[in-house]
Amino acid sequence: MDVKLPRLGEGADSGTVVNVFVKEGDQIAKDQPILELENEKAVATIPSTAAGTVAKIHVKAGDKISVGQKLITLSGGGAAPAAAQPAAATPKAAAKTAAPEPEPEPEPQEEVSAEAAESVEKSNAAVAASPVIRKLARDLGIDLAKVRGSARGGRVTMEDVRAYIQRLQKLAAQPKASAGAQTKPAAESIDFSKWGSVTKKPLSPLRQVIARRMTENWNAIPHVTQFDDADITGILALRKKYVAAYEKKGARLTVTTFILKAVADTLKKHPTLNSSLDEVTQEIVLKEYVHLGIAVDTEAGLIVPVLRDADKKDLAQMSRELEELATKARDRKVTGEDLKGGSFTISNQGGIGGAHFTPIVNKPEVAILGLGKGAAKAVVREDKIESRMILPVALSYDHRVIDGGVAARFIVDLVKAIENFDEKLVKI
Amino acid sequence: MEATKTDIVVVGAGPGGYAAAFYAADLGKKVILVEQDRKLGGVCLNRGCIPSKALLYATHTLSLAKESEHRGITFQTPNVDLAKLRAWKDGVLAKLSGGVAQLAKMRGVEVWNGRGYFEDSTTLRVETEEGQKFINFEQAILATGSKAALPKAWDLGNPRIMTSRGALEVEEIPENLLVIGGGYIGMELGTVYAALGSKITLVEALDGILMGADADLARPIVAYAKKNFKEVRLKTKVGKMSTQGKQIKVEMEVEGQKKEELYDRVLVAVGRVPNCENIGLENTKVTRDDKGFIKINEKQQTEDPSIYAIGDVAGGIMLAHKASREARVAVEVILGESSAFEDVVIPAVVFTDPEIAWCGLTEAEAKQKGINIEVAKFPWAASGRALTFDRPDGLTKLIIDPETERVLGVGIVGAGAGELIAEGVLAVESGLTAKDLALSVHPHPTLSETLMEAAEVFYGHPTHTFVKKKAPHPA
Repeated sequence: MDVKLPRLGEGADSGTVVNVFVKEGDQIAKDQPILELENEKAVATIPSTAAGTVAKIHVKAGDKISVGQKLITLSGGGAAPAAAQPAAATPKAAAKTAAPEPEPEPEPQEEVSAEAAESVEKSNAAVAASPVIRKLARDLGIDLAKVRGSARGGRVTMEDVRAYIQRLQKLAAQPKASAGAQTKPAAESIDFSKWGSVTKKPLSPLRQVIARRMTENWNAIPHVTQFDDADITGILALRKKYVAAYEKKGARLTVTTFILKAVADTLKKHPTLNSSLDEVTQEIVLKEYVHLGIAVDTEAGLIVPVLRDADKKDLAQMSRELEELATKARDRKVTGEDLKGGSFTISNQGGIGGAHFTPIVNKPEVAILGLGKGAAKAVVREDKIESRMILPVALSYDHRVIDGGVAARFIVDLVKAIENFDEKLVKI
Repeated sequence: MEATKTDIVVVGAGPGGYAAAFYAADLGKKVILVEQDRKLGGVCLNRGCIPSKALLYATHTLSLAKESEHRGITFQTPNVDLAKLRAWKDGVLAKLSGGVAQLAKMRGVEVWNGRGYFEDSTTLRVETEEGQKFINFEQAILATGSKAALPKAWDLGNPRIMTSRGALEVEEIPENLLVIGGGYIGMELGTVYAALGSKITLVEALDGILMGADADLARPIVAYAKKNFKEVRLKTKVGKMSTQGKQIKVEMEVEGQKKEELYDRVLVAVGRVPNCENIGLENTKVTRDDKGFIKINEKQQTEDPSIYAIGDVAGGIMLAHKASREARVAVEVILGESSAFEDVVIPAVVFTDPEIAWCGLTEAEAKQKGINIEVAKFPWAASGRALTFDRPDGLTKLIIDPETERVLGVGIVGAGAGELIAEGVLAVESGLTAKDLALSVHPHPTLSETLMEAAEVFYGHPTHTFVKKKAPHPA
């Protein structure tokens, strides 16, 4: 049997093979990783969907592959183990009723790239749909292969075609974010070696995605960045007091954890900062959950895994998860799922150094918090000069959704939450 | 002479040609239908599908009478009046052919009787009884069909060496009949003559008969042939033939061994060739492939922008219903619709005893192309209906995509398979799943239940057969 590239997540239907872990003749188990794929979301390991002996490998490092493409061919596996277990026949599960995933948000990247499309092995059957619907599609010039079929077996019904057309209309009505970018003059290749020796490196797929996303975000969002300073002397004291106790519980208590907690709590009070703008329906979508994106600096580039339900977790749990996510990101083990659904992002450069900077909002989120390096500063408190640990904080926000007043109130509340961190929240 | 102007001229009035002419006329076009034969309907109606089916039906009574003995009903030895049989068959053809003419008249389709010849890309010369006439057309649909191939070496001008055309005339019941070719024509006509009492020797160059069908579906036909034919010889090459008195001397090589035998008649059923000679194609931009068929695209368009081709002459599967669909495509394209002959499920039926029919993907094709499928079979020995008429030698099978459970193909062998396959066509064409078939209630007791039960076999719980437990399906 053939193992094909499964659907990885929305928008992630192709990628570049980084590594192939198996070779022909290898005996592999179901779910054993067979290769590493780098795509616009992350580097992910692709597990085998079945057990068996690798009869043939169809891809190599550097190949661009897409969903449905044959990765490896397994021999023996399918039949042999199955025959070995005289398992009582379970009649096939009561029909796979169509359980279509929720419609993905309209992303203006509908078409699969030509090269991705042509390499997909096609079954010789036409798209499952009645002749009437296939005729309609032909008349309207719709490629039924792109329409999600909701009936049994993924069969396309008239309702599916209707929904697809409506979606296309919405997309067409949407102002093209890249419209401005397209009018810019074509990029010119410059020969830098004229001025000295140079080294050239290809832009990795992840780098390309970062570049594209940052440009899109920068172009689409009118950014404002608000600076402030937060006194973390108190937090440092709390950390010192409890770090050992957390250690015993297997959690590394860091300043970041405190900040995450403070951010999560403050976001609950300022829901606009924890929202998204639906450009199609012209609605502001306020989220009742707080999923914090954590920008992680990896060798390959920036990756933003998401820490879920930060408002519902205690410091210990959050510390553990934060560490896990960072490790996963650096080891390139983050899955597409780990990167989805963030509602607010925190970018912490404190570990490296530097003070205020102006982070770029991570669309479709509407705000991002940048943390600099905490440092001892001379501060005037009650007419006396004191040495306090001061953390530079910078909040960039989408001015289409958030006005300056709202943002200022948020950052004031946030700084308060940091400076007056409640010891009860730390105790374990 | 002044040329008659028309929107569309259709050359050839077979099931492709008359379908095209009628459809175009129904959609408001002025149409002239040109046919060289006095009778409309083409090969299918006059020298193919219809006469062969009439003869198969009539002669089947002979087999039935014999078989019914073990059911306690015996008849006297039947007497065959060939002239009467022929007359009845010809009556059927006349009725149908007359019907086509009537339908043409009602629609205002002009029928010109005569041979058509292209003078150029917009002019057709027709040699009618009243002399040459010319048609100036906007578009021509070429539907001249095909004829049975008769290799030069065997063409001795002796009527005892027949193609299907001669065989369907049933001039006599030869004692020894050699049938060359184990395809559907050889098998069907062999069946007719075997029922009439001829001793049939069937030879086939390949290693099996009905090679297009899956082996398990062909098996009952092979069994029938072994029982009712004198002999079935595979991997056999026929060499020279010569006239020897009232018989034909045939040289052949059977699996490497040379043989020389005498036959009363020989039926040559080794394929069909397109009718595109002497119709002036060289005066147009129409091109042909290396086998002589006219080259077309998926819109039935030839290289000549004003000429379309449909049916046998355009190659592909040479079946009447394929020609009829192509006729619709050609007319729709002419009318500016976005039509194309793409993803069309063309069923195949062989009217042997028992019948065999299939549509969509076959098991053999799936294997050859490496398409992952699951096959669900329901044997007719488990069908109550099949047992009531004493024909348990049938099989219904579904070719299923295990991932989507979609029915990709259906194959049926058994009495009446040709009628049963229609449900399979609807399922495959509409992209239905095995579950859809299983959930549709089928009437009892009928053979149609075998389709529903085959679908249930796929899920492991058919009522009337037992599926050996298999390992759980990977989720």
